[in-house]
Amino acid sequence: MIVLSRLIFLVLVCVACLVKAQYEPVTDFFGRQGSSHTNNWAVLVCSSRYWFNYRHMANALGMYRTVKRLGIPDSNIILMLADDAACNPRNKFPGCVYSSSAKTLDLYGDNIEVDYRGYEVTVENFLRVLTGRVEPSVPRSKRLLTDDRSNIFIYMTGHGGNEFLKFQDSEEISAFDIADAVAQMWEKKRYNELFFMIDTCQANTMYSKFYSPNVLATGSSVIHENSYSHENDRDIGVAVIDSYTHYVLEYMEGINKTSQATMQDLFDTYDPDKINSHPGVRSDLFPRSLRHTLVTDFFGGVAQAEVLPSVYAAPFSNISGATAAEADPEVEGEGITELEAVGVLDSQPFIAALARAPESALGAPLARNTRTWATSGIVLLLVGWIASRK
Amino acid sequence: MDSDTDYAFPALVAARLLLASAPLPDALKYDQQLSSPLTSYSRLREGIYLFQHGVDPYSGGAFRHSPLLLSLFSTVLPLTPYTSPLLWTAADAVAAWALVRIWRLRTGAKKTSRDRQIAALYLLNPYIFLPSLALSTSSIENMLCLLALMFACRGRTSASLLSLATLLQLSLPSILLLAPVLLLNITRPVSRLALPQPMDAPLKRVIPLIVEFLGYSALLTFASTLVCGNWSWVEKTWGASLTLPDLTPNPGLWWYFFTEMFDHFRPFFLMVFSVHLLIYVAPLCIKFQHDMLYAAFLLIGVLAVFKPYPTLSDPGLFLSMFSIFPEIYPYLRHPIVTALIHLHASLLLPLFNSLWLRQGTGNANFFYASTLVFGMGNGAALLDAIWAGLRIAIGELKEGYEVAQE
Repeated sequence: MIVLSRLIFLVLVCVACLVKAQYEPVTDFFGRQGSSHTNNWAVLVCSSRYWFNYRHMANALGMYRTVKRLGIPDSNIILMLADDAACNPRNKFPGCVYSSSAKTLDLYGDNIEVDYRGYEVTVENFLRVLTGRVEPSVPRSKRLLTDDRSNIFIYMTGHGGNEFLKFQDSEEISAFDIADAVAQMWEKKRYNELFFMIDTCQANTMYSKFYSPNVLATGSSVIHENSYSHENDRDIGVAVIDSYTHYVLEYMEGINKTSQATMQDLFDTYDPDKINSHPGVRSDLFPRSLRHTLVTDFFGGVAQAEVLPSVYAAPFSNISGATAAEADPEVEGEGITELEAVGVLDSQPFIAALARAPESALGAPLARNTRTWATSGIVLLLVGWIASRK
Repeated sequence: MDSDTDYAFPALVAARLLLASAPLPDALKYDQQLSSPLTSYSRLREGIYLFQHGVDPYSGGAFRHSPLLLSLFSTVLPLTPYTSPLLWTAADAVAAWALVRIWRLRTGAKKTSRDRQIAALYLLNPYIFLPSLALSTSSIENMLCLLALMFACRGRTSASLLSLATLLQLSLPSILLLAPVLLLNITRPVSRLALPQPMDAPLKRVIPLIVEFLGYSALLTFASTLVCGNWSWVEKTWGASLTLPDLTPNPGLWWYFFTEMFDHFRPFFLMVFSVHLLIYVAPLCIKFQHDMLYAAFLLIGVLAVFKPYPTLSDPGLFLSMFSIFPEIYPYLRHPIVTALIHLHASLLLPLFNSLWLRQGTGNANFFYASTLVFGMGNGAALLDAIWAGLRIAIGELKEGYEVAQE
C-alpha cells in the first residue's frame, strides 16, 4: 500500500518534471525579456469638453500618436475624446490639433480612429470598457478585448481633484470606482500588467486606491497641488498642452520600438521644477523592478520574435538525431553547423517536425529542376523541329 | 523581313524599347485594364518564385498562367527588370512582323507601300503597347495568334498548328480560332471577299491537320503536366476561363454579371456564356468560307468582346487587324461612330476604375458602365466588319437600287 502510493507519487513527480521540462522553454521564451505579455492595449481618455480644454484633447492625442508610433495598432487602442477640438468652429486650423505653439506636428493627422467621441465619453462607458461588461450591440472597435497576457496602458486627463476626475462637466469618477474596475479586470484575467498614468490636478490621489496586483501607476501632482498647462498659443487662443504630459511626450520622442529604456528612466526624468508640480509613482503593487521594465512594455506594441535557421540549411542526415532530441528539448542543436541557433530557444524540434512533414507537392528541388528543363527542352525541340521542316 | 532601305520597322521597335525602359511601366503593372488575373506579370513572378521554393504555385488562387510559361521563364528566359521589357517588345515586334507578312501574303506582293503603316498601326496602337508595357502575357498570346495565322497563310501547316496549340495552352478561349486556322491552312489567304464562292478545297484535308493539332496539344499538355507533377494546373488555368473563380474587374463583360449572380444560377450562366462563344464559329466560318482569314479576323473580334478575362490587348489585336483589310473601308457603315465610342470608352475605363478603386468616390457601377460602353464599341466594330465583309460582295450600287436584308 505504502509502496503503491510511493510509486504513484514518483510517477506524478516524473510526469510533472516532464511537463515542466516541456513547459520550461515556453515560459523561458516569453519570460526572457522579463515581461510575460504577448499583446499591448491602450485606453486613452480625455474627459473634458469645451474649447478651452483644448489641451486635454491634445494630451490624449499626443499619447495616441506616441503609442501608435511605437507599435500598438488602432484595433488595440480605445481613444475617448469628450469633445472634437479639430473640427470645432473656433479652431483656426481646422482639422488640426497641435500640442505646441510651433505647430510642427499635427496630432489629428489623417489616420486617426476615435472610438468614443463626444457624449459617448461617460463614466459608465469607461467602466464598461474596462470591465468588458458592454452591451452586445457595442462594436468590436469599442471593446477592450484583452486577455491575461495583455499589458494595458491607461491614460486619463481632464479636470480632477482629490480622488475624483470630472467627466464632461456633468459627472465624476472616483478613485474607488477605478480601483474596483481594475480589481474586476484582475478577477476576470483581463490584464497581465496595467500601467495607469493620469494628468489632472491632485492626480496622485486617483491611483491611491488601487488594490489589485500588477498595477503600476503615475500621476502628475500630489494632493492639494494643481497641474499646470505648459504652453499657450496665440493663434489658437488657448493652452495647447499640459506640462506633465508635455515632458513625458518629449521623453517618449526619444524612444523607438527597439529602445531598451526602462520605466525607471522615464520616472527619473520627472523634474518638479520644470513640470511645476510633483509627479508621483506607485509601484508597490508591481511585481517587477522598474529597472527591468521596458517603456515599450506598456507604450509600445513590441512583439517577441525568434529567428530560427532555415529548414533547408540543416543537413538531412540529422533527422534521426533530431527525432531523438525532440523528446528532450534541453539538448542544444549540435547538428546545425552552418548556421548559429539564435537565442536560447532550441530549434531542433522545429526542424525535426518540418523534416517529418510531407514532401513538397512538387518534389525535391533537383527533380523539379530536371522536370522544368525537360519541359522547356521539349517545347524548344518541338519548335526547332517544326522550323526545320519544309 | 523588310529590305535594307526600310528603316521604319526597326525605328518603331526602337521607339517601343525606349518606351519600355521609361519609369512609366511601373505604374501600369497593376492596372486592371492592361492585365487580367490570367495574364498579370506580378502573378507570373509570384508563381515562379513559389515554384522555385518548392511550393505548388497552383495550390493557391494567385497563379493562373500556363505551366509552359512557368517552365520557360524559370529556366531559359529569366524574368528580370532588364530582360522582361526586351522580351515583351520582341514579342510585339514578332507579332507586327507576322501581321505585315500576312498582309503581303494576302496581296501577293513582296513589298508594298502600306507595310510601314500596318507595322505602325500594330506597334503604336495604345491598346497593344500599353499591356505590353505592363508586361501582361496577353502580348505573347497576340504574338502566337498572329504567328498561327501567318504560318497558315504561308501554308506551313505544322508551324501554324504548333502556334495555335501553344496559344491554346495559354488561353482556353482561343479554341475558337481552331476552325478558321485549320481551314485557312487548306485555302489561300488572298482576298476573295468581293467574290464569294464555295470553298474549293476538300474538307477531307482537314482531318490529318486535326490529328496533328491534337498531337501537338497532347504533347504540350504532357509537357505542362511534367513541370507540375500533377494535374492541378488544368483546373486553375483552363478551368479559370470556364468557372470564373476570380472576379477581379477587367474591361470585359463577364465579371460584373457574375459578382451579382446567385450561386444557384452560376453553373447555368457559366455554361451559357461559354457556349455563346462557341456558337459564332460555325456561322462565321460557313458564311466566309471564301475568305477564311476574314473569318479568323471576325472570330478574334468575337473573342475581344466576349472573352472571360480580356485585357485591352484583345480588342487591340482586332482593331489593328482592320489594317490588313482595306477593301472593306468603303463599305463600313459607321466607322466614325465606332471610333468615337472607342475614344469615349478608352477615356472612361481608367477614369472610372480610378474613381471607384482609388478615390472611392464612385462605385463598381461606374466602371461597369464604362465596360458596357467599351463592349458596345467593340461590338459596333465587329458588326460593321461583318456587314462590310458581306456588303463588299454586292459591289457598287446602281442608281435606284439599295441593299436590303432578306
